[in-house]
Amino acid sequence: MTPGQAATLGAVVDTIVPADDYPSGTEAGVLDYLAGQFGRDLADLRAYYGAGLDAVEAEARERHGAGFPELPPGRREELLRALESGDTRVPWPFDAAAFVETVVGHVMEGFYGDPGNGGNHDAVSWRMIGFEVGD
Amino acid sequence: MRGTGLMRVDAVVIGSGAGGGVAAAVLAEAGKHVLVLERGRDLTFEEIGRDHLRNHRLTRYPHRSGPDYEDGPRVVVDATGGEKVVRPHEPGFHGNATLVGGGTRLYGAQAWRFLPADFTMASTYGVPAGSSLADWPIGYDDLEPYYERAEWEIGVCGDHAAGSRHWRRARPYPMSPLPEGLQAAALRRGAAALGWDVLPVPLLINSVPYGGRAACTRCQHCVGFACPADAKNGSHNTVLSRALATGRARLLPEAVAERLECDPSGRVTGVRWVDRSGARHVAEAEVVICAAGAIETARLLQNSPTRREPHGLGNNHDQVGRHLQGHAYAWALGEMDEPVHDGLGPGVSLATLDFVHYNDGVIGGAMLADEFTVLPLAFWARNLPPGLPRWGARNKQYMRDNYRRVMRVGGPVQEIPNPEARTRLDPQVRDRWGIPVARLSGATHPESLRTGDFIAGRAREWLLASGARRAWAARAPLTLHAGQHQSGTCRMGDDERTSVVDRWGRVHGHDNLYVADASVHVTNGGVNPVLTVMALAFRTAERLCADW
Ligand SMILES: Cc1cc2nc3c(=O)[nH]c(=O)nc-3n(C[C@H](O)[C@H](O)[C@H](O)COP(=O)(O)OP(=O)(O)OC[C@H]3O[C@@H](n4cnc5c(N)ncnc54)[C@H](O)[C@@H]3O)c2cc1C
Ligand code: SF4
Repeated sequence: MTPGQAATLGAVVDTIVPADDYPSGTEAGVLDYLAGQFGRDLADLRAYYGAGLDAVEAEARERHGAGFPELPPGRREELLRALESGDTRVPWPFDAAAFVETVVGHVMEGFYGDPGNGGNHDAVSWRMIGFEVGD
Repeated sequence: MRGTGLMRVDAVVIGSGAGGGVAAAVLAEAGKHVLVLERGRDLTFEEIGRDHLRNHRLTRYPHRSGPDYEDGPRVVVDATGGEKVVRPHEPGFHGNATLVGGGTRLYGAQAWRFLPADFTMASTYGVPAGSSLADWPIGYDDLEPYYERAEWEIGVCGDHAAGSRHWRRARPYPMSPLPEGLQAAALRRGAAALGWDVLPVPLLINSVPYGGRAACTRCQHCVGFACPADAKNGSHNTVLSRALATGRARLLPEAVAERLECDPSGRVTGVRWVDRSGARHVAEAEVVICAAGAIETARLLQNSPTRREPHGLGNNHDQVGRHLQGHAYAWALGEMDEPVHDGLGPGVSLATLDFVHYNDGVIGGAMLADEFTVLPLAFWARNLPPGLPRWGARNKQYMRDNYRRVMRVGGPVQEIPNPEARTRLDPQVRDRWGIPVARLSGATHPESLRTGDFIAGRAREWLLASGARRAWAARAPLTLHAGQHQSGTCRMGDDERTSVVDRWGRVHGHDNLYVADASVHVTNGGVNPVLTVMALAFRTAERLCADW
């Protein structure tokens, strides 16, 4: 993944799980989760992710004249919702809505899954919702 | 075992799950030498793990508890004839856990007896067009002593007095129920308001130390995982241990039964099986008992053609693999004012049997109960209200405010079987051992969905009466539901033209070939099936030993 794609991915993750009184997706370790999965179950999707992130970046430049990570949170959310509803402004190599749905699924795995999978550091999302595991 | 891998035993049991474990214990204790072939691995608690992304409750990636990703796919044919090759962890595979203990290693352990009318569906409701609804050749009273045996020998906790309102029964449960939590308290209120009868869910779980093992510590990972306290009772820690303790039983994990061998007169002589390295062996036996689960047992019979039975053993009337069924779950979710998730497993606690039968205008029905502790990711994937954004600040806020408030109530809707829901051999696709794989086709009968809608309506009603500020449900699709509750592919009956085994589990036309798993169910009940699988296996194995 290029540095540009990595930056876009981080911004996408934090748009899907934004910070509030609790950590955002990246703060909770979603990127660590994804990095692990790209070497494993999601190895086949690395190119898909790269191309999708490039397209998200191109959408941001086309619509707002700035890169996706530079956009204010409201604009980022608006852009991803537009893609999700099929509204694209640049050529996509595949279905943009399916890309967003796929990324959302993986981000939630990293955020709400068990810490043993590399994300959800210190079970922070579990404490947030009240899923507290004893022995 | 010799170099060619030939061995001789009294009986080979294929599969170490609910039915196979029971059969192995009864035979070994009757003095027989028994070989148990189990396709899956013998996994420890640590190896199974608590992986929220790889378990039999919420599968996003290949299972840790089998079937293994590389084992081979199944082929699934949809309503329009389109076919798809499906890997073990993908939707549509219709898998069950594949490891020592089978489904019982990871199950939720709900321990329901079928209700008397579950055995007489056709005479109770008539036979809808296009269905193969039929009565069982045996009734509740035939099975009652074996239900009791399963409850005591494997270990069930439950409420005897409440249970006696639904089943004629001689003996109480060996253990009283687990303490009730917040979900049960809310549902009791709702049921009282509606005038419904409720009972604690009977569970194959130690509520107190039993069978030499500890009581449940109420962890949050009951269903889909192994038990950290060894308090969940399955084949692996009860009947299989008993069988092995006799010194006459041997359990071989990672041993795949490939084909049943027959002599020219039709007498089964043994089983050909494949070990981990791919080497073939033959185990010769007086008796063979198939307990590989409904899809794999049918596949094994079909993969064993002879001159006399070119489509597989017991299959001259094209019955093996038909009437494949399971359970479509009907459910509703309700958002409560106060938290109902109290962090104490197993979660499932209170049920009503008021709607399993005799509902106006529909065939059959279902038991309704609350849900096992829901994993956070599963909650996100399945329990959110319609209309809520799937991501973003509102989604996160909802998760935070409502994970402990949203309650799911649902139940296994009695399926109306039909002959076109079936498993066959795929003519092309083979598994890692080179054996033809199962090819699944057909769907549940549309009547099951009408019943499902009715049941979802009762679930909604119960949640609202219990204090939910809103409740929602979704329709089950018209598809196969032959996953964890798979059954029906070798149905039991007196007429060999419409069934595969007789009332004792013996394959028609084969004196020494038996089926002792959920394949024999004529219908699959309006409750979870495993106690019935165990009870039938006790009955079949006991009779086999009595005659032998
Ligand atoms: C997560 C989960 C939750 C469940 N919860 C409940 C519940 O609460 N209540 C309930 O009633 N039921 C529940 N079930 C279902 C229950 O486990 C099944 O109904 C039951 O195990 C079926 O018994 P069986 O003997 O037919 O098959 P299984 O228990 O599936 O046993 C079949 C065995 O055969 C092995 N096998 C397959 N093919 C071969 C071969 N060719 N050679 C050798 N071995 C082979 C398999 O690996 C398996 O071990 C649950 C299942 C799961 C997975
Ligand atoms: S809830 Fe109890 S029986 Fe279930 S896995 Fe946890 S400790 Fe074992």
